[in-house]
Amino acid sequence: MFIYSIIVATLTSLLFLTQSLKKEAMDVFIEAPELIVQRMSAGRHDLIPVGYAEKILSIPGVSSVEPRYWGYYYDNLTGGNYTLIARNIDALHMVKGTLPKGPGECAIGKGVADVRLTDLNDVLFLSINPQQKVSLKVVGIFTADSAILTNDLVVMDKNDLVNFFALPKDMATDLIVHVSNASEVPTIAMKIRRDYPDTRPITRSEIVRTYENVFNWRGGMALTMFIGPLLAFAIFAWDKATGMSAGERQEIGILKAIGWETTDVLKLKFWEGMAISLTSFLTGSILAYIHVFYFGAALFAPVLKGWSVLFPPFNPIPYIDLYQIFVIFFLTVIPYLASTIIPSWKAAVTDPDTVMRS
Amino acid sequence: MIKSKIFFSFIAIEIIVIAFLYTDANHTIAARNAEVQSKRELVRKLSLTDFAVFTEARYTRHPSQADTFSAFQDFPSSMDHFPAGSIVGPQRGNN
Amino acid sequence: MILHPGALALITGAVLCFSMTAYAVVLALKIIWHWDISSSSELQLALERRTYLISTVMNYVMGFEILSLFLYVYTLDSIHVLFVGAMCATGSLNANPIGWYVLYTRIAIFFLSATWIAINYLDGQAEDYPLVKLKYKFLLFIAPMIFLDGYLEIKYFAGLKPDVITSCCGSLFSDESKKVAGSLAGLPIKPMMYVFYCAAATLAALSALSMKVKASIVKYLTSFASILFFPIAIASTISFISIYYYELPTHHCPFDILQGTYNYVGYPLFVSLFGGSFFPVASGVAELFGSVPSLREPVGKAQKRWYVVSIILIAIFVGFSSWPIVFSGFTPF
Repeated sequence: MFIYSIIVATLTSLLFLTQSLKKEAMDVFIEAPELIVQRMSAGRHDLIPVGYAEKILSIPGVSSVEPRYWGYYYDNLTGGNYTLIARNIDALHMVKGTLPKGPGECAIGKGVADVRLTDLNDVLFLSINPQQKVSLKVVGIFTADSAILTNDLVVMDKNDLVNFFALPKDMATDLIVHVSNASEVPTIAMKIRRDYPDTRPITRSEIVRTYENVFNWRGGMALTMFIGPLLAFAIFAWDKATGMSAGERQEIGILKAIGWETTDVLKLKFWEGMAISLTSFLTGSILAYIHVFYFGAALFAPVLKGWSVLFPPFNPIPYIDLYQIFVIFFLTVIPYLASTIIPSWKAAVTDPDTVMRS
Repeated sequence: MIKSKIFFSFIAIEIIVIAFLYTDANHTIAARNAEVQSKRELVRKLSLTDFAVFTEARYTRHPSQADTFSAFQDFPSSMDHFPAGSIVGPQRGNN
Repeated sequence: MILHPGALALITGAVLCFSMTAYAVVLALKIIWHWDISSSSELQLALERRTYLISTVMNYVMGFEILSLFLYVYTLDSIHVLFVGAMCATGSLNANPIGWYVLYTRIAIFFLSATWIAINYLDGQAEDYPLVKLKYKFLLFIAPMIFLDGYLEIKYFAGLKPDVITSCCGSLFSDESKKVAGSLAGLPIKPMMYVFYCAAATLAALSALSMKVKASIVKYLTSFASILFFPIAIASTISFISIYYYELPTHHCPFDILQGTYNYVGYPLFVSLFGGSFFPVASGVAELFGSVPSLREPVGKAQKRWYVVSIILIAIFVGFSSWPIVFSGFTPF
């Protein structure tokens, strides 16, 4: 029963965590750009000429196009990867301090602030080589509860970023296309690809679907790995049910001797299985809930973390879906019940007198 | 008899705990709604596309922006050697 | 191939059902060959014991199949996000049309295995197991269905490719569609409502009559009526019940009502429909065996109970389907 609960708890934690992140991604990324246009070169994401924007803007339905400048920075000091973004925006809720107003200022994610031991008004120094370096005054730090989105971000001025990465003139990382009518996005994406065959448009629905896919895959992958333990568990349940103690054997013998039918014993065994399953299932679910939503899935974190230096603490929002519970039920209770059928039948058909005599 | 009593009281306790957790979940969801709203603002204004969960490689940092054959992106037949690559599945884009 | 937890659970369930049925079939074959109730040999005794095992296995398989029918629809609903243009289960099914066959075989399996369990139940009531050979032959007939169902299901999930552009339920269950589903949705609402309520009333009345009247013909008629009622009810769900729940005159999808937005009302709706149309059929099947002397009494008793259950379930179904019609302000015409 203990093992049973643990198995349920592990599987449930997994689904709770993925479900919660998935739901959050769905909720949050519906505000992602409707359409992003990347340029591909030799099968890789490459810089895009800002000039592409004009022709894209002339496609009917496109309301505006803006270049986006961003890139990755590997920090030798800490071994972490930062994501550098250039955006000029006024204010945000989830930031302590302000956002960069001009060159020489930046706002950083909580993770960056922590590994670099920087605080507000400190200076963040980034350098790729002696020519490409920049020192920025930290004017804002993203709050901890936004870490899942902002943990590794460094938001800075466009000119700073262009100079720092030494981006060629009139080149951007990618283009954001704003579309006035959301249902036209696929058509516009198609037109962009026709005009510029070297581009790859990414729609918002693709971003959302990517997350749905990533988390399903992740959940599914882990569950697949769990098939081994599940099988072992089924064998264990089978074994447990077969190796009845002498006392249990005698009990069934007595029941049969006082007039119980084989079907009655089978029913009893079924209810016994259900009772065990129900208890373990409830216990497991409770444990999983506590593990994921109170302790931020602490036991899974090392696995999920991989080699990432900057890893946001999980604080998932408890979106519980009955469906998850149903899936777990299917994956645990049903194999359990199935593996106890034959042993309980064997117990049920034993002759009362052979049992009592032994 | 006594065993069944233990069982039923155990189940009853668990159901109470689950009911509590359920209300707690609803409560938390409601309480953190503002957080979700400001995250949306964040995504909109910074035009973010991905969770900053796996920062070790660019296809795990931005799964939705990655090349379609990201596992081999650094050189031909380069193996996917980042641990997170085993949990961030391959993406199938439209192109 | 998609690795969705729900899909994995379903495949696990399918594999389990598959192997359990295979095991039951092997045992059933032995029983069909060697069964001899008058013998008191060691073998006969062992076989009699085996019958319990088969019954248990089949009860479990049946239970799993029912659960997996719901899980299947639920999973379809949840994976629709992966497909461009899909908005509910219909979209997921269209992403790989094999999915429709899985749905059909699963509904067929529900009715067949429920019938099997009914026969098994009656057989257990009689002292001399009069239906043993028949029910195991029937089992041999159901088994291939279960194998086929499991195979199709695995094939369905293996063949799913995310990002395939599928048509959504709005276009399949819309009035312009040329497919069967489209013509179901295009059925005029008012006449369809008359047909539906008449059919439900007839079925309930016939069930009530069957409880009073001894004549077999009435019972067969009731079974026939319930076999007709099932498609009529499904057609009504698509044609008017769904639109009342969605309060949208153009939205006919029978799967969306299973979603949380509509308070999962689809579950009691479909459970009562399946149950309500199964029990009269079971009583009709039982009537076939009414002539066996040792079964006369159990058959009579069971039929009475089944008719009552069926009337109650149909009342529940009609209640759930009339609820929005009566209480919502929505009027499509």
